[in-house]
Amino acid sequence: MLIQLITNAIIAGSIYSLIAFGFTLIYGTMRFFNMGYGVTFMLGAYLFYISFNMLGFPFLIALGVSVGLTSFIMILVDHFSYLRLRRMRAPSWAIIMVSIGVAIILESLMTVIFGSDVRTVRTGIQRSYTIGGATITPNQVTILWVSIVVMVFLWLFLKKAKIGKAIRATANDPSMATVVGIDTEWVFRVVIIIGSGLACLAGVLVSLETDIEPSMGQPALLKAIVASIIGGIGNVRGAMWGGFFLGFVENFGIWKISAGWKDGIALALLLVSILFKPSLFGIEEEK
Amino acid sequence: MNFFFHVLIMCGIYMILCLSLNLLVGFGGLFNVGHGAFYGIGAYVGALVMIHLKLPFPLELLMSGLAAALFGIVVGFPSLRLKGDYLALSTFGFAVVIYTVFMNWVPVTRGPMGIPGVLRPKILFLRFDSLAAYLVLVAIIVAISAFVLHRIVDSPFGKSLMAIREDETAALAAGKNVSLIKVTVFSVGAFFAGIAGNLYVHYVTLADPSAFVTDESFLIFSMVVFGGMGSLRGSVLSAFVLVLFPEVLRFIGIPSFYAAQIRRMLFGLLLVVVILKRPQGLLGSYKF
Repeated sequence: MLIQLITNAIIAGSIYSLIAFGFTLIYGTMRFFNMGYGVTFMLGAYLFYISFNMLGFPFLIALGVSVGLTSFIMILVDHFSYLRLRRMRAPSWAIIMVSIGVAIILESLMTVIFGSDVRTVRTGIQRSYTIGGATITPNQVTILWVSIVVMVFLWLFLKKAKIGKAIRATANDPSMATVVGIDTEWVFRVVIIIGSGLACLAGVLVSLETDIEPSMGQPALLKAIVASIIGGIGNVRGAMWGGFFLGFVENFGIWKISAGWKDGIALALLLVSILFKPSLFGIEEEK
Repeated sequence: MNFFFHVLIMCGIYMILCLSLNLLVGFGGLFNVGHGAFYGIGAYVGALVMIHLKLPFPLELLMSGLAAALFGIVVGFPSLRLKGDYLALSTFGFAVVIYTVFMNWVPVTRGPMGIPGVLRPKILFLRFDSLAAYLVLVAIIVAISAFVLHRIVDSPFGKSLMAIREDETAALAAGKNVSLIKVTVFSVGAFFAGIAGNLYVHYVTLADPSAFVTDESFLIFSMVVFGGMGSLRGSVLSAFVLVLFPEVLRFIGIPSFYAAQIRRMLFGLLLVVVILKRPQGLLGSYKF
């Protein structure tokens, strides 16, 4: 039982880390809580469902198509809404509310198109392994290694690559970055592409394991918020740890009580963290 | 005719919600995106008190309000330390926690089944069973709430509140007790949301968690934005227009599944377009 719980916690945690990574990257660079992030995740899962299940593309191509399309849609959304607000120098609450509006629009649009019923991505029948008392499916193994590889790669990218350095410079001080010749709007676009791509990837990985529905975005948004805040918002390394920590707290939290309390546990963790200790891991905001 | 009364009753309930949220958001600059939680608390407390304690209606109404106000204080405290963004997140988190409690605390709330059997109120020998009579009751309470909120906004307290919104440091330097004012205003806003919740639960006669999802909070917020932040008249007008319009959609025969989605889409669109094109809303004066 204990080993099973730990396995579940790690697998859930890797998904949470993935979405928290993107969420915190967007916050750290663009300075706003993107409440449309959960919908990006949902959109990714549905685009994958369309290209993989309905159109029958091979797995990797379907994945590429959905990541590309999701990022493209989010760039469009940015162009028509957030960009204008940035130009107007709108206060951050206005951007938060607009992103909530975007989330509502996209979610109801998907509900109208696909109905509110759940859909299942066809991945064939899977044989599950039993290792040391824990049951694990091949899809769960995929979730684990893909998310870890992607995160490590992106982290190195932010540390070493020229674009990564530009992103960190912009996060640190946008006006200073402009002075040294960094086009911040261009950096923002790169960040949106990376963030949306991550959300989409997480959506695809989740859809391998569970059914998808238009309302799946909101819980995902919650996890992203919680994980990135307990990891210290704006700090990608903290967000990764925060994701795994959240996975553990949730899965051990519902050991004795009903699984319906999951979101409640996550949010209680958020409130505690906001009230008492903004960054649980003691890592100060590192750009 | 019943449809007409139904729409007006819902308008009244949303007017109270919008007015009270406007006090927080428009006048206080406290970005509460979880107003639906206080609304829900009022509704559940009303239903539970009615069924288990059988108190007279005015007392029960007061208890709904006070319970919500208590939670308002609990949520208001972080607002002393948190600025705009984080306050929005923590109130959002609070709304989700409250919804999870409604859904999962089965022994008390009966989970997704909700609490049925709430009766229309009666005060002494007056019964408010028919829709018309209930509308009168709602109208009276809306009028009282609007009057009280108007007085609060106009009072020296309201002026200090707006001073805090404009410049917290300056208000502090002028000797205002910023923390006390913020917590007070949070509990007052929550109190009226609780009252609205009580009226709602007595109207639909069922306390059902699906009425208090986080979308509900966003909807109330978008009504406030549409009416104009810091304009009480704007809130009344927008609650009226925005409740009426979707009901009309349903009335002309669009299936309720699509009507519900169109309604949500409309609110999302409204939020985006109003903030982008006219941040001051219909009657407000707020500018970036």
